[in-house]
Amino acid sequence: MDKNMKILVVDDFSTMRRIVKNLLRELGFTNLDEADDGQTAWPKLKAGNYDFLVTDWNMPGMTGIDLLKEVRANPATAKMPVLLVTAESKREQIIEAAQAGVNGYIIKPFTAATLKEKIDKIFARSAG
Amino acid sequence: MQDESAKQELLEKAHQLIKSIENDDDAETSELLTSMTAYREKGLFEEVGHLTRQLHDSLSSFALDDQLTDLTDKEIPDAKERLNYVIEMTNEAANTTLNAIDEVLPVTAEMTKKSDELSAKWQKFMSRELSLTEFKNMSVEITEFLDASCKNTAFVHKKANEIVLAQGFQDLTGQIITKVIALVQNVEESLVDLVRIAGSPESTGAEKKQEKGILEGPAVPGVVVEGAVNSQDEVDDLLSSLGF
Repeated sequence: MDKNMKILVVDDFSTMRRIVKNLLRELGFTNLDEADDGQTAWPKLKAGNYDFLVTDWNMPGMTGIDLLKEVRANPATAKMPVLLVTAESKREQIIEAAQAGVNGYIIKPFTAATLKEKIDKIFARSAG
Repeated sequence: MQDESAKQELLEKAHQLIKSIENDDDAETSELLTSMTAYREKGLFEEVGHLTRQLHDSLSSFALDDQLTDLTDKEIPDAKERLNYVIEMTNEAANTTLNAIDEVLPVTAEMTKKSDELSAKWQKFMSRELSLTEFKNMSVEITEFLDASCKNTAFVHKKANEIVLAQGFQDLTGQIITKVIALVQNVEESLVDLVRIAGSPESTGAEKKQEKGILEGPAVPGVVVEGAVNSQDEVDDLLSSLGF
C-alpha cells in the first residue's frame, strides 16, 4: 500500500474530518485533502488525481451515495476505491451502497482499528 | 339572520309589547318578553350547534390525518430518546477525554521531574564535578530514563488518539439534534394546521411525506429503526453475503 497516495476525506462535520484525517495520519498517510460535501468533493475528484475517497453519506448539497455513483459513472474515477464512513445503518442502505460499488462500509461511531482493518482489506484486494 | 316572516313576527310582538307596557298589562308584557327571549335563544342555540358540529368535523378529519398521531405516538418519544442519547454521548466523550488526560498528566509530570534531575547531573558531569561512582549511577539512570521515555511517549500518543476519537460525538450528536429540530418544526406546523382547521370548515389533510430516501442518522439505543443493523460486524456479514 502506497502511503503517499492522495486521499480525499468528505464529511459535512469538520470535527469528523479532523478525526478521520488524524486517524489516517496515524496510519502513515500524509497526502490528505478534505471537502465538506459531495458538491465540493466532486470537482476536486475530477480534477485532482486522487487515489482513495473516504466519505460520509448524509450531507447537504450532495450525499455520499450520490458522490459514489458519480465517481463510478465517470471513466476517470470509476476505479477509485471508496470507503463510506456513516451513521446510516439500515440494511437497505448498506445494500444500496454495495450495489453502487462501494469498497468498504464503516458505521459511526467507529474505532481506529476498524478504519485500519477496512483500509487494509480494500488495498489488499486491489493489489491482489 | 332571519327570514322575512320571522322578522314580521318579531316586529308584531314588539308593537304588542309597547302596547301592553302602555296599558300596564303586566301579564302580557311578561309573556311577550319571554317569547321574544326564547326566540333569540333559539337562534343562539342553533349557531352554537352549528359551530360545535363544524369543530367536531374538523377535529375528526384532523385525527384521520395520521401525521399528528405519528408525532405523538412515535416521533416525540423518539425525540426524547434521541436527546437522552445526546446527553449520554457528550457525557461519555467528556469522561473519555478527562480520563485520558488524568492518565497522561502524572506520566508527563514524572518525565519532567526525572529529566530535570538528570539534566542537573549531566551539568555536573560536563563541569567535571561528578565522581566515577556518581557517573556510573547516572549512566544507569539515563538508560532507565530512555527506556521509560520510549514507553511513556507511546502511552501519551495512544491517549491522545483516544481523545481525538472521542470527539466523534460532535458529528453524531449534531446529526441527532438536527433531526429533533426538524421534528419541532413539524410539530409547530401541525399545530398551525390545527388552529387553521379549527377556524375554518374546510380541512386539508397535510400530505403524507414520502418516506423513502429519508436518512435515519445515527443509531440511538431505545429507538428501533426497522431494518437497521446493530454493529459493524453485522455490516461486514451483510457485505460478505453480497460477495464483498
